[in-house]
Amino acid sequence: MNLKTSILDYINDVKSGSLTVEEFTSATIQRIKDVDGDVHAYLSLNESAIDNAKSIDKKISTGEKVGACYGFPISIKDNICITGTKTTCASKILENFVAPYTATVVNKLQNEDAIITGKTNLDEFAMGLTTEFSAYGPTKNPWNLKYVPGGSSGGSAASVAADECLASLGSDTGGSVRNPASFCSVVGLKPTYGLISRYGLISYANSIEQIGPMTKTVKDCGFLLNIIAGQDSNDDTTIDNKQSDYLKNIEDGIEGKKIGIIKEMTSDGLSPEVSSATKEAIQDFEKLGANCEEVSLPTIPYTVAAYYTITSTEAGSNLARYDNIRYGYDLDSEGYEYNSYISKSRTKFGPEVIRRIILGGFVPSAGHAGKYFLKALKVKSKLTSEVNSAFEKYDFLIAPTAPVQPFQFGEKIDDPITLMLLDYNTVTANLTGKPAISVPYRVVDGLPIGMQIMGNSLKEESLLQAAYALESKTELPEVPL
Amino acid sequence: MVDEEEIIRVAKLMKIDLEDHTEHVSRVKKMLEYFDILDQIDLSSEEITSQEKTLAELRKDEFIPNDKKLIDSLKNFREHYVRAPKMN
Repeated sequence: MNLKTSILDYINDVKSGSLTVEEFTSATIQRIKDVDGDVHAYLSLNESAIDNAKSIDKKISTGEKVGACYGFPISIKDNICITGTKTTCASKILENFVAPYTATVVNKLQNEDAIITGKTNLDEFAMGLTTEFSAYGPTKNPWNLKYVPGGSSGGSAASVAADECLASLGSDTGGSVRNPASFCSVVGLKPTYGLISRYGLISYANSIEQIGPMTKTVKDCGFLLNIIAGQDSNDDTTIDNKQSDYLKNIEDGIEGKKIGIIKEMTSDGLSPEVSSATKEAIQDFEKLGANCEEVSLPTIPYTVAAYYTITSTEAGSNLARYDNIRYGYDLDSEGYEYNSYISKSRTKFGPEVIRRIILGGFVPSAGHAGKYFLKALKVKSKLTSEVNSAFEKYDFLIAPTAPVQPFQFGEKIDDPITLMLLDYNTVTANLTGKPAISVPYRVVDGLPIGMQIMGNSLKEESLLQAAYALESKTELPEVPL
Repeated sequence: MVDEEEIIRVAKLMKIDLEDHTEHVSRVKKMLEYFDILDQIDLSSEEITSQEKTLAELRKDEFIPNDKKLIDSLKNFREHYVRAPKMN
């Protein structure tokens, strides 16, 4: 059984009758049993996956209408709700929380006969870049189990890279889809803000975060986007995408397109390996017929501070509901005064979440908002103007997704500033609402490097064309697991 | 310079119980010190922008009846009342 297949090839095989959904699902579940003890991509599994597969096979054999997904296996980040299943956000505070409703994205997938394999690991409440902040232990990078898979959607990326599913849904607040996609050598898209419904995604910083597809190929990413994108009455921030087909013209190429190489993301701070890969990627874009030149976006050095200020503020508010009155766990209240009961229950938050909540109380507070929060919002406005101006001249803006390759567990966890700066190349897309994709580009010394392409708002169709063109110039080794 | 006592006070306001706060406070302090970079950018001509939507564009504010199954799963639910825990 070839579990390394793409979604599109899998669907062709099922349609042609050379493969049944049950065969592939069973092989995928077996693969999870074989490798997930080491990788730890999943927090929980869908026990009904085989039954789901059998019912889709039955539909196929009886000539009943089958959804576009034909039962391909997909994992879901554990901060996205599915009715009747645990949704923990990798936090002890939601250890036994069973979602009472299903996220729009999952509904759309299930309506098209996708099979959910299970829920994947993340940094607690999606706050982190390595999955080391999961309350249930870190996910390992399938390329080298001693290395971090990136985060916060590290479980999602690792599940795709380790062939434990064909695709995954992650969420991206400051790079949480693209960073692990880069670290695990999979494709990861952060769409335009509002393109995909957030209904059923547990909020961390809802003004900038988006759900995003993570796949083995760029075409699969387009296929998945066709299914999950679009307006949703349950999320008033969603926008009408006019039912765009992101797959139709994906092979059109980038001949004559103008590409801006973001100076601030490609000069200082890159590892030699990432720097060298970036130069090669620029050459590849030129060989593909694009015109590349350097562009300066001078606000970028201030974006990480602005990003953490805004996200902490929203996290402080969004996570107030975990007070053991609205959401929480069994904790005997006898003997506690009201406020101390809430504080006691919140000791189940992990260290990074605690720090972000404190920051989230501090930076927007009276006396400090002028120095932090209001300035951060102005940085966001200034950056958006700069990026909009750049898109008047360029079709795409490029940079490496992460300034470094994956690193070993424990290597950076003690230095909060080093960890924050891993977001340096990714937060711009979130602060401006623009779409950005990470494309697997190189594997150097056994560790992946991804290239990031950013497009203008709602230009996912051309963004995927550029990503597909770059992908066609790469030939990468198979994951050694 | 950020005052450690103020960080502890804000933590309390956010209902975070810092029993062993040394590491948390020092990391939060480091992050806040990094945020000082925001003092170096000229934002004097910048306005804070936000996206606006009219009421007509928003989902209708309709009453959706409770799902009975959800209510049944509450531990201390009787008729139309939920019994809250006793506190001092």
